[in-house]
Amino acid sequence: MSPYFKYILGKLKWYVLIFFAALFLNFFLPRLIPGNPISALVAQMAGGGASSDVLNKLYNSYIHEFGLDHPWYVQFIDYVVKVFHGDLGTSFSLYPTKVNTILAQALPWTIALQVPSILLGWILGNILGALAAYKKGKFDGTLFPITLFVSSIPYFCFAIILLYLFGVILNILPIGGGYSMALTPTFSIVFLTDALKHYLLPFLSLLLVIIGGQAIGMREMSIYELNTDYVRYAKLLGVSDKKIIRYVFKNAMLPQITGLSISLGTMVGGALITEIVFSYPGIGTWLFNAIRQQDYPLIQGGTLVITISVLLANFLIDIVYGIVDPRIRASQLEE
Amino acid sequence: MKKLVAEVENLKAYYKVKGRILKAVDGVSLGLRDGEVLGIAGESGCGKSTLAMSLSGLFLPPLKYYGGKIKLKDIEISKMDRKLLRKNVLGKKISFIPQSAMNALNPTLKIRNFVIDVLKEHEPELSEEEIIDRVEERFDSLSLSKRVINSYPFELSGGMKQRVITVISTLMNPEILLADEPTSALDVSSQHQIIKLIKTLLERRIVKSVVFITHELPLLRHIADRIAIMYAGQIVERGTTSQIIFSPLHPYTKMLMSSIITPEKGMKGKELPVVSGSPPNLYEIVAGCRFAERCPYVTEECKINEIKFHKIGDREVRCLHPLTERNGINAAK
Amino acid sequence: MELLRSLIKSRKFLIGTSIFLALLLTSLIFPLVNSSDPLEMVGLLYEPPSAEHVLGTDNFGRDVLIEFIYGMKTSIFVGLVAGLIATLIGTTIGVIAGYVGRLTDNILNSTTNLFLVIPSFVILILLSSSLKSRSLLFLAIIIGITSWPWTARAVRAQTSSLRTREHINMAKLNGMNNFEIMLSEILPYVSSYIFMAFVLQVASGILSEAGLSMLGLGPSDVVSLGTMLSWALLYEAVRTGAWWAFFPPTIGISLITFSLLYMNTGMDEIFNPRLRGE
Repeated sequence: MSPYFKYILGKLKWYVLIFFAALFLNFFLPRLIPGNPISALVAQMAGGGASSDVLNKLYNSYIHEFGLDHPWYVQFIDYVVKVFHGDLGTSFSLYPTKVNTILAQALPWTIALQVPSILLGWILGNILGALAAYKKGKFDGTLFPITLFVSSIPYFCFAIILLYLFGVILNILPIGGGYSMALTPTFSIVFLTDALKHYLLPFLSLLLVIIGGQAIGMREMSIYELNTDYVRYAKLLGVSDKKIIRYVFKNAMLPQITGLSISLGTMVGGALITEIVFSYPGIGTWLFNAIRQQDYPLIQGGTLVITISVLLANFLIDIVYGIVDPRIRASQLEE
Repeated sequence: MKKLVAEVENLKAYYKVKGRILKAVDGVSLGLRDGEVLGIAGESGCGKSTLAMSLSGLFLPPLKYYGGKIKLKDIEISKMDRKLLRKNVLGKKISFIPQSAMNALNPTLKIRNFVIDVLKEHEPELSEEEIIDRVEERFDSLSLSKRVINSYPFELSGGMKQRVITVISTLMNPEILLADEPTSALDVSSQHQIIKLIKTLLERRIVKSVVFITHELPLLRHIADRIAIMYAGQIVERGTTSQIIFSPLHPYTKMLMSSIITPEKGMKGKELPVVSGSPPNLYEIVAGCRFAERCPYVTEECKINEIKFHKIGDREVRCLHPLTERNGINAAK
Repeated sequence: MELLRSLIKSRKFLIGTSIFLALLLTSLIFPLVNSSDPLEMVGLLYEPPSAEHVLGTDNFGRDVLIEFIYGMKTSIFVGLVAGLIATLIGTTIGVIAGYVGRLTDNILNSTTNLFLVIPSFVILILLSSSLKSRSLLFLAIIIGITSWPWTARAVRAQTSSLRTREHINMAKLNGMNNFEIMLSEILPYVSSYIFMAFVLQVASGILSEAGLSMLGLGPSDVVSLGTMLSWALLYEAVRTGAWWAFFPPTIGISLITFSLLYMNTGMDEIFNPRLRGE
C-alpha cells in the first residue's frame, strides 16, 4: 500500500468518526435543554384559535414524526437511518415542504458565495502576506496595522459597512437578495448579470476580511522561514532570491493549509451571517428565518448540512496537504 | 612558500541592531595559501562565524560591511555588485559549509532539485540530466551513495546530511571552502568522516584551500596547517598548527588549550571549552588590550592603547607580554 | 516581573491594552454617572443625532449612545466570562494531554481535534435555539464551553515540549506527584501562552456573541453590541440610511477585537522572538 493511500485511509476513518459524533451532537444537543419544543410549537401554531381536537391531532402527529414516543437511542438510530436516506424531516414554518427541498435550493447559493471567496481570499492573502514579510520596512510597517484592523472587523460588520456605502450612499449596487424579485432563476444573460450584481457585495465583504486574516498569518510564517538556516545556506551558494522566495513561500504555506482547515468553521459561520446582512438566499438566511420561526427541523437540517460541508472541505484540504508536504508521506512509512 | 589564493585586509563587518553597532569582525587581516587548511579558533561570540560569512563577500542584514578588502587573486569582492557576486563568486569560487546541517537544507525539497537549482544559477546552459550525471559522478567518487540524491533532507541522518552539504558546496570546485564548525553538532564517527572528506577534497584539488572554523582548538591539530586565534572580533595570534598548539604566545591561546582537560579521549565535541571569565561586550569596546580583563599577566600599560601585532620570529601576536620565556622561545631567533 | 517589563516595552501591546482598557473603563464608569435605562424609549423611531441624543435613536426610539455603552459592557462581559471558561477547560485538557502523554493524550487530543473540526457555532445554534429566552450568563457559558479546543491545542503543544526538560525530571526525583508537577513545574512555564490564548478567546467570545445575536439567538434580557446590530438590520436601519444605529456597534466590536488582537501580536513578538526577524 502506498504511503499516501495509507494516509488518506487514516484520514477517512477519522472523518467518518467525526461525522457520527456530529450526527450525535446534532441529535442530542437540542434535547439536552429541558422543555418540550413540540408543545411550545403546537401552542404557538394553534394561537389562531384551533379547537383542542385539532391541536391534539397536530401534537400527536408531531410526536410521532419526531418519534418522541420512543426511548432516545431508538430515536437516534431512527434519526441516523433517516439521514442516510437523505430525509431531514418536514419544515414547520413552510409545512408540508420537506427540509431537503429548502436546503437543496439554498445550498448552491451558499457554495457559490463561500467557495470562491474563501479560496481566492486565501490565495491573495498568502501572496500579500509573503510580500509584506519579504519587502519589510515601510510596506510591512504601515500595511500590517491596517490589515490587522481590517481583519478584526467581523465579517458581518464589514458587510454592513459595504452595504451602506455601495448600496445606499453610492446606490450603485443592489441592497440585498440573490437576484431581482422580477426575475426567475434561469440561465439567461439577463438573469446572470443581475445575479452577479447581487453577488458582488457579499463576495467582496467576505473576500477582503479573509485576505486580511490570511495575510497576517502568512506574514508571520514567512518572516520565520526567511530567517531559517536553509535560506542562508542557499544564499551563500549563490541561489537567486527568486528561487529562495519560492522555497520560503511553499514552506510558509504548508502551515497555512492546516490553518485553513482549522479556521474553516469560523469562516463559514461568518459567511453565513454575512448572508443575513444581504438577505442572500443561502443557508445562512434560511437558518435565520428558521430560528425566528422556531422551525426546529429546518434548524437541525441546516446545521447538519453545514457540518457535513465543513467536514468534507476539511477532508479535501487534508488530501491536498498530503500531496504537497512530503513529510506526511514519510511519517506514514515509519508507522 | 606557496602562493596566496586569497588575501583579506583589515576587514570590518558590524551588526547594526536597533541603532547599536556590534563590532563582530573588527579589522581582520588574513592570507590564505594554496593547498592549506587555515584554522580559526575562538570562543562562541568572538566573531568567528561572522568572519566566515563575511569572507564570502555576502553581508546579509543585519550584518553590514564597514571596510577592508577581500582579494581573490586579482578580484576584490567586498564591494562587488550582489548580482555579480552571486553569479560568479558564491558557490563557484568561494563556498560555504554551515554549522547546523540539520536545518541547512530546505525540508520540502529533494536534494536532487536543490542541486539543480544551485547549478543552474551558475551554469544555466546545463540540462537537468547533465547536472544529475555530474552530481552522481561526484557522489560516487567520494563514496557516497547515489541514492541520497533522490531523498528529502529529513530522510537522512545528521552526519549524512553534513556530508551531502559538503559535497553540494564543492560541486563547482570552488577555490576556497569556508567551513563554519562543520563537525560541532556531530558524533565522533561522523566528525571523522567529515574531516576525512574535507582532506580528500583538498588532495584531489577539488578545493584549493579551506578555512576551518571551530571553538575546539585541539580539533584543529588534525586538520589545520596554520591557525589564527580570534578574540573579540580580532585575530590575536597567528602561527603554524604546532606553534599554536604546543607553544602558544598569547595568554588567551593558552587558556583555550588548557581549558580542555582531556582533549582527545571522550571529548565528544559537545561540551564547549570552559574558559574562565566571559568575552567582552562587542557593543562598547574598551581601550587597550581586549583581553586585559581576563588576562593573568595584565599590567597597566596593557590598558592604554590598542595592541598591535608584534613579530616574534615568524610568528605574530597581539600581546605586550607574550609567553615567550615561559615557553622557552627566544624572541631573537 | 521581568515579563511585565518586557511587555511594557512593546508598543503594540501597550496600544492594544490602552484601547481595551479605555473601552472597558468607559463602559464601567458611565453607568455610574448616568443612570438612564438603555431600554427606555426616549424618542421616535430613528431620530438622527441631535444635542439631546448625541447618537440619535434606534428603531424603538431608544438612545443609541446609552445603548452603545451598555452594549459594550455586555459584550466585554460575555467575552471575559467565555474566555475565562474556555481558558480553564482548555488549559486543564492541554496540560494533562501534553504532560501525561500516551493513551490519555491520544484520547484528549482526538477529542480536541474533533471539536476543532465540528464548527462551534453549529453547537451554539443547536444549544441556544432550543431555549425561548436566553440569559447573558447562559450565552457566555456555552460560548466558553464550545471554544476551549483552541487553547487546549496551544497549551498541549507547549506542555509536551516541556515534558522532557531537566527540571521536571528533578521534580519527579524529589517525589513530587504528577498533579504537583503540572501545577508548579509546567503551568508557570506555559503561563504566557495561556494568557495569549485567553486574550484571543475574549476576542472570539465577543464575536461569537455578536454572531449569535445576528442570528436572532442573542441575550433576551440586555442590550449587547450584537443585538444592536441585529435590530438595526431587522428594522432596516441600513437601507433607510440610519447610519447612527449601526455604525457605533460596528465600530465598537471592531475596535475591541482589534485592541485584543494587537495586544496578542505584541505579546507574540516578545514571547516568540523569532517573529521579530532580527
